[in-house]
Amino acid sequence: MTAEPVDVLIVGAGASAAAFAWSLAETRMNIVCLEQGDWMDPSKYPGLGGDWEARQLLGDFGFSPNTRGRSEDYPVNDSASPIAASMFNAVGGSTILYAAHFPRFHPSDFRVRTLDGVADDWPLDYASLEPYYDVNARMMGVAGLAGDPAYPPKVVPLPAVALGKVGRTLASGFNRLGWHWWPSDSAITTQDYEGRAACINAGTCLSGCAHGAKASTDITYWPAALRRGVTLRPRCRVREITVNESGMADGVVYYDADGVERTQKAHVVVLACNGIGTPRLLLNSRSRQFPDGLANRSGLVGRNLMLHPYAMVTGIFDERLEGYKGPTGCCIWSHEFYETDRARDFVRGYSLEIVRGYGPAGAALWGLSTGRISPGAGHHEAYGALFDRAAGMVAICEDLPDADNRVTLDPQMTDSNGIPAPKITYRLSDNSARMLAHAVARATEVLQAAGARDTVAEAPLQPAGWHLMGTARMGTDPARSVVNEWGRSHDVRNLFIIDGSIFVTSAGVNPTNTIQALALYIADAIKKNLANLFD
Amino acid sequence: MSENHERSSFSDHQARILAEVLDAIIPPSADGLLPGAGRIDLAGAIEDALRQTPEVLAMIVQGLSSLDELARRRGSQDFTALHETDRREVMEELASSQDAFPPVLILQTFAAYYRSQRVLEELGLEARAPHPSGYAVEPNNFALLDAVRRRPPFYRQC
Ligand SMILES: Cc1cc2nc3c(=O)[nH]c(=O)nc-3n(C[C@H](O)[C@H](O)[C@H](O)COP(=O)(O)OP(=O)(O)OC[C@H]3O[C@@H](n4cnc5c(N)ncnc54)[C@H](O)[C@@H]3O)c2cc1C
Ligand code: SF4
Repeated sequence: MTAEPVDVLIVGAGASAAAFAWSLAETRMNIVCLEQGDWMDPSKYPGLGGDWEARQLLGDFGFSPNTRGRSEDYPVNDSASPIAASMFNAVGGSTILYAAHFPRFHPSDFRVRTLDGVADDWPLDYASLEPYYDVNARMMGVAGLAGDPAYPPKVVPLPAVALGKVGRTLASGFNRLGWHWWPSDSAITTQDYEGRAACINAGTCLSGCAHGAKASTDITYWPAALRRGVTLRPRCRVREITVNESGMADGVVYYDADGVERTQKAHVVVLACNGIGTPRLLLNSRSRQFPDGLANRSGLVGRNLMLHPYAMVTGIFDERLEGYKGPTGCCIWSHEFYETDRARDFVRGYSLEIVRGYGPAGAALWGLSTGRISPGAGHHEAYGALFDRAAGMVAICEDLPDADNRVTLDPQMTDSNGIPAPKITYRLSDNSARMLAHAVARATEVLQAAGARDTVAEAPLQPAGWHLMGTARMGTDPARSVVNEWGRSHDVRNLFIIDGSIFVTSAGVNPTNTIQALALYIADAIKKNLANLFD
Repeated sequence: MSENHERSSFSDHQARILAEVLDAIIPPSADGLLPGAGRIDLAGAIEDALRQTPEVLAMIVQGLSSLDELARRRGSQDFTALHETDRREVMEELASSQDAFPPVLILQTFAAYYRSQRVLEELGLEARAPHPSGYAVEPNNFALLDAVRRRPPFYRQC
């Protein structure tokens, strides 16, 4: 079956696609989105059952698509990376699992070459994205506190999440050292907001929020986009983008839920499959005109993969911290070590994101993995010393682009439709290794200042490949970038990319707020250039 | 948590071996307040957790048979008939020869034990899922931020 061409065809229905579709729908164009996953049913989220931790840590809501065993997932060969790939495939994409920690980039993040002599400047700046950050804050429902000295003034529509004992205890450590901290911007409703209920501090954010307080895009942008007339077709897995004789994209070939091969023609194709899914699809779209993959004349598709090496440092305290209560990854942050300091042995910097503790099973499994709790004799004493007494932070280190860190196609592995799967090859740079060491030392210091009697460091944190960036970078020079300054492919003028693939650098904070602000920015650029979109 | 699990993959005999192995993984606490993992019925919970990965469940069933086999080589009728020290030795023997069975069973035992109603209550926790009730958390006190508020903006202007 070959359906009539649609005006705009979006592939992927995660964080970026939802924001983009909602914005572009204002034009009343015929917009269709194909998503390989399905709508999620929050009444089936793990948090409603006693086995929620097992489902998150060992089962069907794990972070890795390789272990979940869901047919909607595709495998990722991450054996050549010290950091595992992590994502979710459904309407809402990886926001179904994300922690909703929602910082903006800093103004300096867009000027790294000018300021620090590394990587490249972005072809846009903070001021260009600022209005889109504001729209995104309203649409996602961002909670926080105005006045953070680490940032220019910004819109924060909702009051901060409850910091709890963990936040209070760790904040006292930062205060003792005179270091910056602030309540985190969190995409979590702390009051009833736009039909969403206020957070009830259930602490299961990383396996889906059954309460609708965490802003996954299936409950924020998508309902609004559908009301504006966008069509979303779940369980449609795109195999490749097709091109016509003149080298323009003319649609896609995909498999429906029954595995039947179908085509969908389109005037404009927009990719939103994330920093691994998008290069995979481009590399799978080979043709006579594009033998090395679509939009890949620069040879940069898949290259410059950035993952944000994480350090996780956990303090063990004497008192109980109630860390299993409250949003797991949203509490307070510190940007004390964010900007480049020439006195250090690395360039750029990192943010610290305080993470609360574990639930009862999570504590046991974490204790086991770090050698703090063993089976057999002494088990209960070790568990008692740890459960509800462990809390700490992750350091999110800026990852600089390196062409050898990349996504390629695995020669053997395929998904359930037989489509070649991606392979990631990633090496930790010396700069990142030094930054991680610095972060571990500083996090340990602040935990001790907060009263921790012991600390445990994990760096790089192996499961933490959840920020996927850089694999189809933006820029003004077609030889050094895949898309231009508003997301349009240099090689294929009706092909756009709107996800984290287009990041030039990674900054030292979580990316999703910026991914979405950029998607809104690109949607507006398309609206403004409609008359001569392909010139 | 009080949930009913159907147990079907393990025979009665295998369930008895499993109980012994679970007790070795998490023995009762010294004060007797916390039960050994083999004394609360975790077999069903482990089976439930592994329903999506039948090959792992099959490996556990196979691992239990291997324990019997190793016990028989020591002249015992089966694993459950061994003395405690011998049991430990047999388990260690299996652990050194088969790498996957013991680690997987330990993970699943930890996960199942720390969701059981008896254990959660003994730990002073409410034996319920986090949703839909959630938890109360102390109200925010931003007086703690006073020192930070006094700090001038420190992001790089550009
Ligand atoms: C455990 C975890 C915690 C995280 N925590 C945070 C956090 O606290 N803060 C933060 O900023 N970010 C966080 N992230 C990252 C965040 O989720 C991502 O940055 C964000 O979702 C990326 O948006 P995206 O649109 O690029 O891709 P995604 O949201 O990943 O969406 C891509 C979609 O494309 C679909 N797709 C891919 N290929 C195809 C195909 N061939 N055909 C059809 N559909 C396809 C996928 O199924 C998926 O739904 C976290 C992620 C994880 C996994
Ligand atoms: S803590 Fe809040 S946001 Fe997280 S899962 Fe619970 S209700 Fe949802």
